[in-house]
Amino acid sequence: MTAAISLAVLLLVLGSSIAVAAGMAMVGLILNQLYSQMPLTRMLGELTWSTTSNFILTAIPFYIMFGEILLRSGIAERMYNAMIQWLSWLPGGLMHSNVGSCALFGSVSGSSVATAATIGVVAMGEIDKHKYNERLFLGTLAAGGTLGILIPPSINMIIYGVMTDTSVPKLYLAGFIPGFILTVLFSLTVLIACMWKPHWGGEKIQTSWEERWRTLPDLLPPLVLLLIVVGAIFFGLATATESAAVGILGALVIAAWRRRVTLTMLREVCEGTVRTTAMVVAILVGAFFLNVVIQTIGLTQQLARLITAYQLTPAQVLTAVIVLYLVLGTFMEELSMMISTIPITTPLIVHAGYDPVWFGILLVLLIQTAMISPPFGINLFVIHGLRGRGTLSDVEIGSAPFVIALLIMIGLICVFPDIVMWAPRVFG
Amino acid sequence: MERLQAIATAISRGGAIVGGALLLAASIVICIDIALRYAFSLTIGGADDLSGYALAISSAWGFSAALLSRSHIRIDTVYVRVRSRAARAALDMLSLASFALFGGLVAWHGWGVLQQSYVSNSHSQSAIEMPLTIPQALWFAGLAFFVAVALLLLARALLALLRRDLDDLFRLIGSKSALAEAKEEISAVAHALEAEPKK
Repeated sequence: MTAAISLAVLLLVLGSSIAVAAGMAMVGLILNQLYSQMPLTRMLGELTWSTTSNFILTAIPFYIMFGEILLRSGIAERMYNAMIQWLSWLPGGLMHSNVGSCALFGSVSGSSVATAATIGVVAMGEIDKHKYNERLFLGTLAAGGTLGILIPPSINMIIYGVMTDTSVPKLYLAGFIPGFILTVLFSLTVLIACMWKPHWGGEKIQTSWEERWRTLPDLLPPLVLLLIVVGAIFFGLATATESAAVGILGALVIAAWRRRVTLTMLREVCEGTVRTTAMVVAILVGAFFLNVVIQTIGLTQQLARLITAYQLTPAQVLTAVIVLYLVLGTFMEELSMMISTIPITTPLIVHAGYDPVWFGILLVLLIQTAMISPPFGINLFVIHGLRGRGTLSDVEIGSAPFVIALLIMIGLICVFPDIVMWAPRVFG
Repeated sequence: MERLQAIATAISRGGAIVGGALLLAASIVICIDIALRYAFSLTIGGADDLSGYALAISSAWGFSAALLSRSHIRIDTVYVRVRSRAARAALDMLSLASFALFGGLVAWHGWGVLQQSYVSNSHSQSAIEMPLTIPQALWFAGLAFFVAVALLLLARALLALLRRDLDDLFRLIGSKSALAEAKEEISAVAHALEAEPKK
């Protein structure tokens, strides 16, 4: 009963377009009033201070700042042009460069929106030049962008790690192989589409080995940054937060080398970072408070008992959770969806016997799916906004094949959990 | 009132820039710490505490910047389907009022945290032994400023409501559509890329 009422209150409050951070706190207040004698609001001060001064969480603003500097450093355009040389011989041409650039940029960026926007800006001009099928081309950008949160570093993984007490380095390790497989799946999707309808693939782009070798150094900056940021974590040289700090320095060096560092630029970076951080942190504080209330009133145990009472098998619990996210993902903003549901779904899944690291990766894949599934998918909006013409449904249709690729990927890790678990087991 | 908001905007922007600078400084201190650790097996100590404080302070000041630029996430699936402008205005007011209440509670109990640190003369655990009242006072100031900004916006929205000027109300506190949000992100990216020095 408590569970049903709590869920109803949550949906009602968040559905009424109250800012998510405040909404979660309000739900916490209401549930506190209804079900607990203790005035839990008294904890709000201490809770907010200890949450926001948590060293692990400083990784969030660091990655945001890292991304902001990277964006302004100009590495994206050069990287994209080099990718064209190396990947566009495949049927589907530039669309493979889109996916490849997103994967490489995603491997240094922790955000999907930033990845889609950055590669999108660089790639958009090419549609008309080479007569591509516009919808599919847009789809590669929207879908490719989502790789930003699966391939480490990933802001979403840090949030998941902190909220569920899961090791962030292990999540990072676990994200690599699925990230690589998904990139290949996206490319395969383009390949199959263009072999079926060759005219979708646009005109052939002239490349030469000479050009390829000449542009190769342009792929280096992101690779070096990747090595610094992720390598340091894997070899145990630095924690996730420390390596993010090193990333900021690395990005600054690259930006300075390209003569992009100015006072105005630094001011914009600082302001942008703080605004985005505050938005994420506000939601986190609301969610942590709600989490405390939920635990105090014994909601999680109640749900667990419910599952035992109905004798649900682990697979059934998992299916229910996956379906829940696919449904929520169609209309809910992705970050809020993740933060507001983790406190409930993770204990259930772990209770059913699944590994929290594995579930973290599954969750990221589900969020990626949500990002490109209509009507609400943030990456669809980003790509549509970038294009500045046509309708949103063009992007939605173009992304549909990639939603299928994502569902296949989700199926793969459910059937073969080792895709996720092998790396953290061997290196972790 | 309008001037008051202009001043508030300027202060919150300043707060955000200083907060960002704190974060940048914290990241550099961490890098130095790592370098010393591997080069001389030394540690300055406290780099993690300092960056934690930087996050707490900058996010407290960022709350108001995000509120003024309407960047706080709202789920507008229902909102955009509400036809009545009056109902939408009511939802906007409700959202802002909840935020003010939430911020007020956090600030109120945040004051308690600061007071407690002062009374018990708490210092950070690491080698730097900074009195906790310093970062906590800056953090609390950010929270208090957020509440002030929320109340100011609430008052302005209320006045707009009384004047029946809903357009003004939406400009102040309306929900920004996701598409508008995406467009802002894009213009930031495009602006950043334009800075490329032409050869």
